[in-house]
Amino acid sequence: MAYVATRGGERAIEQAERLFREEIGPFDQARVNEIKQALPYLIDRVMGEASLYDEDLAALALAQTGGEMFEAVLLLRAWRTTQPRLTVASPIEQDGLFTHRRISAAFKDIPGGQVLGPTLDYAHRILATDVLGGATHAPAPVEAADKPAPAHLPSVSAWQAENDLVDLPDPDPTIGNDIPDLTREPLLFPAKRAHTLQSLARAETGGTLALGYSAMRGYGSAHPTVNEVRLSEAEIEVAHPDGRKFSAGRVKISQAEVVDKKGEKLSLGFAATFGWNEVKCISAATLDLNSPGAAKGAPTEEEFFLYHTEGVESSGFCIHFKLPHYVTFQSSLDAMRDARAKKAARPSSSETEPAE
Amino acid sequence: MTDATLSTLARADAARLKHFAETLIEPLGDIEVVQSRSGLVMLPMRDTAQGTAFHLGEVLVSEAHIRAQGRIGYGMRRGTDLEAAMAMALVDLAQQMGVSTKACAAFCDAEAAAQQDADTQVLRKVEATRVDMETF
Repeated sequence: MAYVATRGGERAIEQAERLFREEIGPFDQARVNEIKQALPYLIDRVMGEASLYDEDLAALALAQTGGEMFEAVLLLRAWRTTQPRLTVASPIEQDGLFTHRRISAAFKDIPGGQVLGPTLDYAHRILATDVLGGATHAPAPVEAADKPAPAHLPSVSAWQAENDLVDLPDPDPTIGNDIPDLTREPLLFPAKRAHTLQSLARAETGGTLALGYSAMRGYGSAHPTVNEVRLSEAEIEVAHPDGRKFSAGRVKISQAEVVDKKGEKLSLGFAATFGWNEVKCISAATLDLNSPGAAKGAPTEEEFFLYHTEGVESSGFCIHFKLPHYVTFQSSLDAMRDARAKKAARPSSSETEPAE
Repeated sequence: MTDATLSTLARADAARLKHFAETLIEPLGDIEVVQSRSGLVMLPMRDTAQGTAFHLGEVLVSEAHIRAQGRIGYGMRRGTDLEAAMAMALVDLAQQMGVSTKACAAFCDAEAAAQQDADTQVLRKVEATRVDMETF
């Protein structure tokens, strides 16, 4: 591919950006706050794909880009590079999660029970058009139970391991800066599992769903059953300079385990992300479940799905095609004209071959 | 085992925390500010399928690190409120230096109770979504 240096168009470029921003109009803290309060699931999706957790920054990025998701995520990914990394927290463990929702489609009677939490899974999808006529849509309040749900629940796979249904390896003792980090080292194949899961955690939701869905429809080797979906809040466990561990606050996370029966035991796929985004986690866990032994070029092969679900790279590559490609395209045209000219110059077969 | 007081301060209501910490500045005397900044904390998670620790992403935090008479006061909270992180560090320092001990304990107890109450309210609503399932 070749590029050519061009000059000119500065004024047009400046006005084009102004035209984009004019449609969004001026925005301030109040708009950022409104976005944050009104669109928590969009905020979650942006934070997950940006791999940067802060609701205010995510809302600001959405306000600044008019909701153009790829631009918002790019803004946040760029901004994070301006910030120092202060420390690496302790790994989140299942028994420390403040759980809002945990269900299993594989087992009815999981320890701790099935807790639906906040969901639209069983809702009638009816658009509240009366709001456009001036009505206020006020959801009915939750009728809280007398006693609270248990905040902390074990993973379903831990319970299955106790029942000899799955083999769980010893926990990985790697901590801190020794954990492989995609933001500081390249993604190489075969990928380290830590890289695979980190990449899926920051993957673009739509791309992850598309590839995960292809596996679910039969283009993979394993059909997923949701072993566990969990929405929770995780503590950010850090250390005081004197060594005392404490939680610097909580972040919303979602995770999914999917399961398939292979041989004598169940095999598991796993994925998690910042924010509450079940579709992405189930899709990503399905890709994780299907990746062992996947054929080169299959949507479930890790190189294929990790490269193609990286939203900043894929959207950036897509939009780069709008940039001037005059040299490459002219080169293609030249080749096409040359081929056409050669073909025209060749005597036709009817002229060279004697008639029978 | 995490330090309950520090964890409470990190989640304490920012306005109340700052208001309370202002009352500690005078009795604490000279304080050296070692660090007051925002930054990122990388948050790993352990995968439940294979036990692998991996990075989920980074969390924006504000950090304050102060010093007086050989003692270190430290604050780290989610978000960009540097004043709130500094207020946390002031309360931490006061507790270590024995300054306004009763007031600090009362403040932390009140905040812990408020946080516990908020958590309980959430979990009562979560409990309302528990499924009593029958299969046929």
